[in-house]
Amino acid sequence: MSEEIQYIRNIGISAHIDSGKTTLTERILYYTKRIFAVHEVKGKDGVGATMDSMELERERGITISSAATYCEWNNHTINIIDTPGHVDFTIEVERALRVLDSSILVLCAVGGVQSQTITVDRQMNRYKVPRIAFINKCDRAGANPRRVAEQLRTRLNHNAVLMQLPIGLEGDLTGVVDLVSMKAIYFEGPYGEELRSDEIPDYLLDDAKAAREYLLDAASMFSDKLMEAVLEENVSAGLIHDAVRRGTISRELTPVFLGAAYKNIGVQPILDAVTLYLPSPMDVENVALDLGNDGKEITLTSEPAAPLVALAFKLEVTPYGQLTYLRIYQGSIKKGDDLVNTRDRKKIKVGRLARMHADKMEEISMARAGDIVTLFGVDCFSGDTFTDGSLRYAMTSIFVPEPVISLSVSPKDNQSEIKMAKAIHRFVREDPTFRSYVDHESGENIISGMGELHLEIYVERMKREFGAEVETGMPQVSYREAISGKAEFNYIHKKQTGGAGQYGRVAGFMEPSEEGVYEFIDSIKGGAIPTEYIPAIDKGFKSCLKKGRLIGFPVLGMKITINDGQFHAVDSSELAFTHAAVGAFNQAYFKAKPIILEPIMKVSVESPSEFQGNVMASINQRRGIIVSSAEDGVFTAVDSEVPLAEMFGYATTLRSLTQGKAEFTMEFSRYQKVPESIAEKLKETLVDRSKGGKK
Amino acid sequence: MHDFIEISPLKLLEMSSRKELGRGKLGVLMARAGVGKTACLINIAFDKLFRGEKLVHISLEDTPEKVTSYYNVIFYDLVKALNMKNETENKMLFDRNRMILAYMNKSFEIRRLKENLKTLVDKIEFLPDSLIVDGLDFENAGRDIFEGFKELASDFNVEIWFSALSHRHITDVNERGIPYPCNRMDDLLNIIIQLQPTQSGVFLKLIKDHDSPVMPDASVRLDPNTFLVIN
Repeated sequence: MSEEIQYIRNIGISAHIDSGKTTLTERILYYTKRIFAVHEVKGKDGVGATMDSMELERERGITISSAATYCEWNNHTINIIDTPGHVDFTIEVERALRVLDSSILVLCAVGGVQSQTITVDRQMNRYKVPRIAFINKCDRAGANPRRVAEQLRTRLNHNAVLMQLPIGLEGDLTGVVDLVSMKAIYFEGPYGEELRSDEIPDYLLDDAKAAREYLLDAASMFSDKLMEAVLEENVSAGLIHDAVRRGTISRELTPVFLGAAYKNIGVQPILDAVTLYLPSPMDVENVALDLGNDGKEITLTSEPAAPLVALAFKLEVTPYGQLTYLRIYQGSIKKGDDLVNTRDRKKIKVGRLARMHADKMEEISMARAGDIVTLFGVDCFSGDTFTDGSLRYAMTSIFVPEPVISLSVSPKDNQSEIKMAKAIHRFVREDPTFRSYVDHESGENIISGMGELHLEIYVERMKREFGAEVETGMPQVSYREAISGKAEFNYIHKKQTGGAGQYGRVAGFMEPSEEGVYEFIDSIKGGAIPTEYIPAIDKGFKSCLKKGRLIGFPVLGMKITINDGQFHAVDSSELAFTHAAVGAFNQAYFKAKPIILEPIMKVSVESPSEFQGNVMASINQRRGIIVSSAEDGVFTAVDSEVPLAEMFGYATTLRSLTQGKAEFTMEFSRYQKVPESIAEKLKETLVDRSKGGKK
Repeated sequence: MHDFIEISPLKLLEMSSRKELGRGKLGVLMARAGVGKTACLINIAFDKLFRGEKLVHISLEDTPEKVTSYYNVIFYDLVKALNMKNETENKMLFDRNRMILAYMNKSFEIRRLKENLKTLVDKIEFLPDSLIVDGLDFENAGRDIFEGFKELASDFNVEIWFSALSHRHITDVNERGIPYPCNRMDDLLNIIIQLQPTQSGVFLKLIKDHDSPVMPDASVRLDPNTFLVIN
């Protein structure tokens, strides 16, 4: 294996559901000799693809946790993170993109740019990840890779350039034309492992010349040398590679490759492209925050001798114990080193150090900047930064969306109770979008997350991995409360009978906050309330936001202004003013016309155009607002906004309405006021529930 | 809050014989590339939305995301220009009253549009008052397309506004004084207006007024940034 940093590639493989990411990864591992047999995602052989290591993933044919693995190709080390395609697991995708230097965007030659492709592409833009595109499934009926390349340009704004042309399409796909070498490449042998280069078939020659001209035009924008060579008709492969690499790394060019991973066509050229066009850790600028210097941004260096900076981006429980996946940004780690967690300054010792290959591991003695490695038995959260102790750096925090749905879980017996607690403790550390708490009124354990499927998977994992038998309640939407008007308060908290007295008066007003955040304004003049009690008042108001008085859900934010008050020289205390603030909140809250807000989801449904009417009707019936409908060939994508409360069971409805030919994605958009009639019903149900009449 | 109708580009129609385009009729906004055709067309759409009407925006080039962002940018310009107070309510109402139908990669057909409009009416009870069509290639669209739109305007009882791209170097004008590219089908068009950038500002000029002769000097001056009428 090469130890040189310029020969390392940290890549992700991202795509819409079912575009064939896992199959592509499986083939990559086969050709790089990391595995010696290929299995399918939903394997008939009962083994399943290597990257889908969790039992549940294999059963459902989807990738949930992004397993990390590595392989070697052309003297390069390639670390691959296989990312989940379902939007409920977006945090996994976001985390993977944070630690990767580049990515392969996989698209389906039939479905093209789909809703999840747009989400994943947006995420990649957020983390400035350069990518190459692979149009997979060119062997399927209806495959049209040129249309997909056009969609990359029009729908995703990529400067997409075909690097290959297909030889045949659909069932007749036999190979690809490489537009750099101007040769036809065929993939022979039982698993396409033998590459045969040949002349371009005559019928494709004109097309190939035109496509190469387009490629040269686009690539020469990034290299004067190539431009000169084009004019002098003296173009070499090296010049093209260099120009395409520059364009790709600057994210101004997206080279597009074609194939059918399942049929073993076009995978090796993608590996070549990874080494030729994607950046090494040296080519990417990484920034950390210096907590010892007011969070000032510091550019890290990939120098192995520099002080260590590494990010724990994933925790996993495996048969080997608890694993922590670490990306090293600066410096190096050796067995026996001491690392310091920036968050709590706790020191840990590196006992074992390994590289993971899905659920198999390979022990190593040292790793350096650019590497992705695993540590064993380290107590930390995902997102923690480790250094050698000489720095107080933190990698920028990963954006974590708020959970929108919750579910009560109760163990069936005592044994399960312990196992369930253990499972929840683990999941909370693994996944920041998974939360858990005990509802003090009902005594129930509540878990919350990003969608129905997200929570369903965790409940299944409790059963399978931890042996906890649990029962679940109905999914519950995470509502919010907010005030819609301004109301004044003037409250005296007084307790002066026996013992130490309490006294505090707080006056002012509450009003809605436009940004939905909590704001506390101190306009007290003349020392009506001494300065030392002000933080206690702030604390009192803040504590009331956790549970609104209308239906018991958190209050989304408000602006509190205090402008008057009174204190007692002996009986006033911080506690007394905190109580006074709570009293003031209760006094004004209902006068400020509180309303219920519900999460509105952005729902995108893709289906053959003939079902567009059914899809629209199904959204309309769910209080949804249709925003747009876009036709592209035989497919139509309907975008809409629908309250989450109406989306339970939608997958089943959609399946029956469209003969299983449609799919949808859903992500949180915003909170919006619940219509009056529904708010009344909600109040009845939720108030009943909190009084013990659980439904 | 200022009244949008007073500064809407469609204020120009007060100088027309019927003061409006009217249901079942076709109207065209012509301009050269880069003059602000789409921005002005979206202002026409806002004219309808401010009147509480519903519209379908049909895009033959841009994705729904792009069209939505055009509307959002122009909406927030209007918030400033009109000193709008109830911005959130208006935004929500306009979003509800506007539907975007996009036809990507040359997948547009009158037959499909007709089916899609029928779906909107039958399945979700969205009954548009106007259609806004952006990106139709007037130079290459056959007469049958415009006849199809005419039929559609009548069947669905809507008025339809198009944008059309003109060129500086093509100065063809037909015998009725209608310039390229509307000169081949102007009998099917009821109103034609043209964006004209001049040294003294941007003007919106009435070129065709139903079956009546166009009033001399029928034009309004527009703000070159917002494409709203300067009074």
